[in-house]
Amino acid sequence: MTRVRIESMGTSLPAWWQRRKGSVAHAVTAGRRCLAASRHQPADVGVLVSAGVYRDGHVAEPAIAAYIQHRLGINIEFQGRATLSFDLLNGGCGMLNAIQVAGALLQSGQAVAAMVVAGEANSDRRPDPASAVARSGAALALELSPRGGAGFGSFAFQTHEEDVGLFSAVVSLAVPRGRLFVRRQSGLEEAWLGHASAAVDEVLEREGLTRDQIDLVVPAQISADFLSRLPTAIGIPAAKVADFTASLPDTGSTSVFIAWQRLCAERRPAAGTRVLFLAVGSGLTLAAATYTV
Amino acid sequence: MPAPTKVRIESLGVSLPETILTTAALMDRCRRRPRLDLETITGIRERRVAVGEHALDLAVHAAERALALSRYRAEDLDAVICTSISKHHRDDEFTLEPATAVLVRKAIGAGRALVFDVVNACAGMLNGIAVLQALIRTGVVRNGMVVSGEQNLPLAESATREIRHSLDRQLAALTLGDAGAALILDAATDAGHGIHHLDLVTGARHDHYCRSLPSPRGRGGILLTKARGLQRKGAEHFPAYLKRALDATGWSIADLQHIIPHQVSVRAVRQGVKALSRHFGCEMPDIFLCCAETFGNTTTTSHFVALHEFMLNGRVCPGDNLLLVSGASGIVISHLTMTLDDLPDRYRALWGSGAGGVP
Repeated sequence: MTRVRIESMGTSLPAWWQRRKGSVAHAVTAGRRCLAASRHQPADVGVLVSAGVYRDGHVAEPAIAAYIQHRLGINIEFQGRATLSFDLLNGGCGMLNAIQVAGALLQSGQAVAAMVVAGEANSDRRPDPASAVARSGAALALELSPRGGAGFGSFAFQTHEEDVGLFSAVVSLAVPRGRLFVRRQSGLEEAWLGHASAAVDEVLEREGLTRDQIDLVVPAQISADFLSRLPTAIGIPAAKVADFTASLPDTGSTSVFIAWQRLCAERRPAAGTRVLFLAVGSGLTLAAATYTV
Repeated sequence: MPAPTKVRIESLGVSLPETILTTAALMDRCRRRPRLDLETITGIRERRVAVGEHALDLAVHAAERALALSRYRAEDLDAVICTSISKHHRDDEFTLEPATAVLVRKAIGAGRALVFDVVNACAGMLNGIAVLQALIRTGVVRNGMVVSGEQNLPLAESATREIRHSLDRQLAALTLGDAGAALILDAATDAGHGIHHLDLVTGARHDHYCRSLPSPRGRGGILLTKARGLQRKGAEHFPAYLKRALDATGWSIADLQHIIPHQVSVRAVRQGVKALSRHFGCEMPDIFLCCAETFGNTTTTSHFVALHEFMLNGRVCPGDNLLLVSGASGIVISHLTMTLDDLPDRYRALWGSGAGGVP
């Protein structure tokens, strides 16, 4: 089956005067940058998936993707070309889930191009101090790869329900306008590190690759400590693991692709480079995907 | 290019809470009772409400019922996609992480399933079917479950506290009911059966007609709807998409045995029929299934609550051609055409007597 590749990319991180910028606004900024860099017209986007977890105003419906579609001006009327927008939630792994789903919709011939976007922010007026969410946005335009071999290869998603209690996020409705509480238990990073190798094993086995054949690993930028221990945990040399924790906070679902864009901006990887994306999230879920540039 | 794999509904499970709440009783709970007869206007007489349970429990019960009818065991499922809007797992709490699908997977023991949530207002289950269909067609999974549990009573309770007048935008919250539904999908074994066409489109310019969010005035969530505008926009646009779905399937209205509209209210269904009559320039046959009178609007699960009801009473039979129509906030318009296999017979055989031995 034809592979799906990232055609263009956009990200959004808040400038100092944008400390109140919401998740939809970040997703829209990232989406505009992505569309500006794309060879596709906005109307080509037949599927738009929003994978952001934290929602402005804690809106349960409509889909946040509909707001993003509206503000990006993608086929917003019921005439001419059509777009399906929906939200896909799976914590920090949501963007990789969304890429797999959007890819399947592209491969089934439902659209010429798809967009996966995510925006994260705690929209509370007075946020719970322990529930800070680093504000960010990321957007990817996806299309069927014109070149055989390039694009996303295999995906592996592993959910470890025994550790489900280590990470949760709830909106308390006991107070007016709701309040977000993100609860991270101690031992969370150890649990992710402990499960990471199995996810990498699974995706490499599916793709028929060995660890030596991976040129780059782009993991979620959880923390400097997490990144320092990750190479040993997954058995891949630290030189191949992208670490931007000195300049990037943990931005949740957008983290992997903000790091990937940072890496591409610094030094564009050569065609044929084999990349391993590694996301971690609640569940606990670990998601790994192989990508050939 | 070979025809894409056809996907079918292999099993269905619906979970309806036992407690019945009448519209009259709900209106009596309003602190400032609006001066209108909601029952006459909407045609909704009663709805089921989950008492002592939460949305997750409804989803899990529905999933267990779907598994009871299925040839698959929980551990055989390759995917569990949860499409609930109301993610209430505790009182006054809305869960964003972990994904509800993780909790359903844990509860039913589907240990190897790919899990994530799809959220798209009332079109959620049809959207989940579209996603799972694409994953099955591309060989990512062989089968999977789309599951939803909707507990809307908290929204109705907020409305009883906060409604101030007869044109209040929270009135639509009083039409909601609670239910869970789960579908198991796999590749159809017979090309004549299964889902023929599924089409969803978002007209995002109209994203302001219906919103659900925490109340700015007190505890709980609220549903704000510009009901007339939403229905007008829906009626304006859905007939053309319905015609397109029929054309893509190669059907006409005469080929359909049943149309299952989104069960917003009895009145809304009637208005939808009128809009279709205007569009097609002829009277519509009596093929519209509506059970909003007894279950209210159960949001994402409403089509499958209706399918459950009309399979049990014998109106929906094997081999019937169905069209499912949905209008959801966003605005999302969706149409699904399918031909049923022996599901209605199997469903009646297991649940018809009312003694199905639910786990």
